[in-house]
Amino acid sequence: MDELTREFLIESQEGLDRMERCLTELEERPQDTALLAEIFRSVHTIKGTTGFLGFKRLEKLAHAGENLLGLLREGKLKATPPVITALLELLDALRSILKAIESDGGEGKGEDAALIAQLEKMRTPAQPVPKQPAQEEAPATQTTVIRSQAVRSRKQAPPAAKLAVVPARDAAEAKKKQTKPESAPQPAIAVPQISAPAVEEKMEAATVAPAMGEGEGHKARPLLSAAAESTLRVDVTLLNRMMNLVGELVLTRNQILQATASDPSMTQLSRRLDMVTADLRESVMKARMQPVSNIFSKMPRMVRDLCQALGRRVRLQMEGQETELDKSLLEAIKDPLTHAVRNSLDHGIEPPEARAAAGKDAEGTLKLRASHEGSHVVVEVQDDGAGIDVEKVRRKAIERGAVTAVRSAQLGERELLQLIFLPGLSTAAKVTNVSGRGVGMDVVRTNVERIGGKVEIDSKPGQGTTLRMRIPLTLAIIPALIVRSLDQSFALPQGSLSELVHIPPEQAQREIEWMEEAPLYRLRGRLLPLVFLGGLLKPGADCGLVKQRDNFIAVLDAEGRRFGLVVDGLADPEEIVVKPLSAVLKDIGIYSGATVLGNGELALILDPGSIAMRAGIAMSAKEETANAAEGVEQEQSSRIEYLLVEAAGRPAAVPLGDVLRIEQLPLGRIEYVGYRPVLNFEGQLLPIEDAGGVLGSPDSAAGSGERQIIVVVCRDGNRHVGITVSHVLDVAAGGDLFEAGTRQQAGGVTLLKNRVTGVVNLGGVPPLETASPAQTDWSQPVEAAG
Amino acid sequence: MKTAAGRSRGAQVATSLVELCAVRVDKTLYGVPITHILEIVGSSRPQPVPLAPAFVGGLVHYRGDVLTTVSLRQLLGIEPKNGAQDILVLESAAGGCFGLLVDSVGEVLTVSSADYEPNPSTLDERRRALYAGAYKLKEGLLVMLEPDRLDPTRLSASNVGIRE
Repeated sequence: MDELTREFLIESQEGLDRMERCLTELEERPQDTALLAEIFRSVHTIKGTTGFLGFKRLEKLAHAGENLLGLLREGKLKATPPVITALLELLDALRSILKAIESDGGEGKGEDAALIAQLEKMRTPAQPVPKQPAQEEAPATQTTVIRSQAVRSRKQAPPAAKLAVVPARDAAEAKKKQTKPESAPQPAIAVPQISAPAVEEKMEAATVAPAMGEGEGHKARPLLSAAAESTLRVDVTLLNRMMNLVGELVLTRNQILQATASDPSMTQLSRRLDMVTADLRESVMKARMQPVSNIFSKMPRMVRDLCQALGRRVRLQMEGQETELDKSLLEAIKDPLTHAVRNSLDHGIEPPEARAAAGKDAEGTLKLRASHEGSHVVVEVQDDGAGIDVEKVRRKAIERGAVTAVRSAQLGERELLQLIFLPGLSTAAKVTNVSGRGVGMDVVRTNVERIGGKVEIDSKPGQGTTLRMRIPLTLAIIPALIVRSLDQSFALPQGSLSELVHIPPEQAQREIEWMEEAPLYRLRGRLLPLVFLGGLLKPGADCGLVKQRDNFIAVLDAEGRRFGLVVDGLADPEEIVVKPLSAVLKDIGIYSGATVLGNGELALILDPGSIAMRAGIAMSAKEETANAAEGVEQEQSSRIEYLLVEAAGRPAAVPLGDVLRIEQLPLGRIEYVGYRPVLNFEGQLLPIEDAGGVLGSPDSAAGSGERQIIVVVCRDGNRHVGITVSHVLDVAAGGDLFEAGTRQQAGGVTLLKNRVTGVVNLGGVPPLETASPAQTDWSQPVEAAG
Repeated sequence: MKTAAGRSRGAQVATSLVELCAVRVDKTLYGVPITHILEIVGSSRPQPVPLAPAFVGGLVHYRGDVLTTVSLRQLLGIEPKNGAQDILVLESAAGGCFGLLVDSVGEVLTVSSADYEPNPSTLDERRRALYAGAYKLKEGLLVMLEPDRLDPTRLSASNVGIRE
C-alpha cells in the first residue's frame, strides 16, 4: 500500500469517527448547521480523494451520501431520525470498504445499490421534482471538463484535469442547487445563497487538497486545522520501544542508586539521574496517553442503536472525556465499558412506560464519567434505572450453586451485589441479543482485573446502578513488593496486596493452625487460608514454617479470592518494569512476567490470581473471607475504620486511612530536638507525638536504648507524623454516633467496640518548627464524653 | 579459523561449506550454524524458574529483555553443571530468540557437506529428535544442532525435553 493510500485511510477513518460523533449529536440538535457542515466535510473529503485514488465503489457511495447531506446543509431537508439512520448506515458501509482497502488494497465485493437507492429516496421529501439520474452521473465527463477549466482559471488550480474533476462536479452541483431555490419551500434560503459560493469554494480547496498529492496539498492544508502544525503522528511501535528503553533506564537507575548509596560524592549525580529518569519516564508515558474520549465517543452511537432496538429513551451524559489513559489500557477497557453500557440499557433503565409509571422521567439518564484518582483512573457507568434486585441475585446465585442458601442469608446487600460478577449469573428474565447471557459482568471483571484494575458495583433499587472501574495509569511499570523464597526473589504486585503479617520464629508453631492438610491463620479472628510459596514452587519440598527464622504472610486479594501467601523474607518495595515471559514460561501459569531488580538480580513476577487458583482457593472463599477486611465496612458503610491502639493504658483510635505503616524500633532511634522527640525515618525527619508517655523522659532514654517501642506513622495532609503507642490492638469501624468531626481541632471521639474512644488528632501535632513539645489532646475528649 | 579438515575439503567447489560454532557439553562436541547465532554471552548464571519444564535452564537479562534459556544438559538428561555457563543467543523460528546453555563455546569451524551423515538409527529417540546428524571431523564427530529443534516452544509442545 502506498503512502498516499495509507494517509487517505487514516484521514478518512478520523473523518468518519468525527462524522459518527456529529450524527448522534445532530439527532439532538437537528438545526445545527456547524454539525452538518462537519459531516458534509467528512464525506466530501472521502469522495474527493477516492476519485483521485480510483476507488469507484467508495466514490459512488460517498457521492450519494453527499447529495443527501447537501440538501440537509442547505436546509431543504430536515434531519429526521430516518435520515440519520440512513446516514449511519452509509457510515458503516464506508467504514467496511475502508477496512477492505486496508486489508487487501481492494474495495471488496458488495452491492451498495440498495443503500444508494435509500439515500436517494431520502432526498425526495424536499425535492418534489426528482432529478434525472442521467444528469447526475452520465454526462459528467462532458460538462466537467468544461466546468473544470472554468473553475481552474478561477482558483489557479493545477493543470491536471483529472484532479479538478471532483471540485468541478461539486461546483456544478452547487450551481444546480443554487438555481433552484425558487422551488424550495423555505424562503430563508436566500441568505445562504449569497455566501454559499464563497464558502463552498474555500471548503473545496481545503478538502480536495489532500488528494492533490504533495505539492498542492501543502498549500491548502493550513486551512484544515492549525492544531495539525503542532502535532505529529507517531507509530505506536516506536512509542512502545521508547517505553521499553525508559524501562531499561529505570532499572539501570535503580542499580546505580543502590551501588552509589554509600558514596557521598556520587549522591549528587545519582540524585540528578534519578530526577531526569523520572521526568523522562513521565514524558514518554504521557506520549502514550490518549483521552478517554477516544472510546467514549463510540458510545453515543451505540446507545442510540441500542435504544432503538430495546425501545428505551435514554439521555447520555459524558464527563471527564479529557481524562487520559495509556493507549493499551484504553484498548483493554473498551470491551468492559461496552458490556457495562449494554447492561445498563438492557437491565438497568426501564422502558419509558415503566419509568413513567414509577414516577420517573420517561427519559432515562446514563452517565459515563472518567476522572483521575491518585495513580488510577476511575471510569464510572451510572444509570438511573431500576437497580439490581438483590433478592433476584440471591435466588440466581443459589440456583447456580454459587452460594448456599444458608450462606446467602448471612450476606449483606453489598456482598450479594458482588455475586453478579460470577460467571453465568444473569438476572435477566430472558436472553436478548443485547445481553442476559450472564457473561457480561464476568467479562467486565476479568478484563479489568487482567490489567490490574478493580471493579465495584453499587445499586439502589428503583434509583439506579453505578459500576466503577479503577484502572491503573500504566501497565509497564508497577509498584511491587519483593519477597524471598527458595533463596530467590519474587515480585508481588502491590495492587493485590492488602496487608503483611509478621510471625516471629518463636510463635511460628503456635500461630499457624492446620485443619488436616490445610494451613490456616487467624487474622483478627477469622480464618485465612494459607499458601506456602516455597511449597507451591517446589512440590514435595518440606514446606511449613521454619522455626529458626522470621516468616511473613502476605495477605492477598485477587479476583475475589483472599488468601495468605507465606514467604521466607521480605525485601524493599520497588518500582518494577514488567518484562514479558516466553510462551513456555507463561504457560506455567503462576508468573505474569519478570523484572530486573535494583541489585541486578532477575525476579519473576507472581500472579496472585493464578496462585490462588492453583492452590485451590475457591472463588466462594470470597464470601467467607472477604469481609474480614471489608465486612465491617460493608455492614456499616458510612463508618470510618480505625486502628485501635493503646498508649499508657488508655485506648485511642487512629483513622486507618491515615496510617502509613507501623514501625517497631529500638528506643535509641528516637532523637531529640530540644524536648521534642523526632525520628530519622527513611532519611526524613518525623515529628513524634508521645502523648501516652511511652518514651519516658529524654534523659532516661539513653540508658534503655534497646527497649522496643512502636511508632505508628501517619499521614496528616502533606506531612507525616509518628505516634508512639504501647500496643496496637485491632482494626475496627467507628460507631457513627460520634463520627462527625474527627478532623476537627479538638480531635473527636468514636464508638469502637462499644467503647467511647478518643481519636488521635493528627492535625493537632505541631509542626517541627515550633520548639515547644506538643500537648496531648487525644484522651481528653474521652473523659469529656464518657 | 578453519580447521585442517575444513581447509582440505573446503577447497572443492562442488560441496557446500557450512560455518558452525563449536560448543561443548559434557564430553560431546556440538555445532550450531553461525547464521542462527545472534550473540554469545559468556559465563552467566541464569535465574532458575521454579515449576518450569525440565529443559528450561532459567532466565537471563539480555539487552533489556528477559531471555528464556534451554539447558542442553538438562535437555539431554545429563547432570546439571555447577557454576557459570556460556549462552548462545539463538534466533527461533517464531521470530523471537532464546538462549542455549552450554558448558563452553569453542571456535568457529568450517565444515563441508561432504562430511555430513544423518543420525544413526542406534541413537536413542530423544537424541534422534534433537540432533540433525553429524559431521565427521578429523578429531572426531561433531553433532549438528538445529536451533529450530531446540526452540523452547517446540520442545514443550513435543514433550521431547520433558525428563521424568
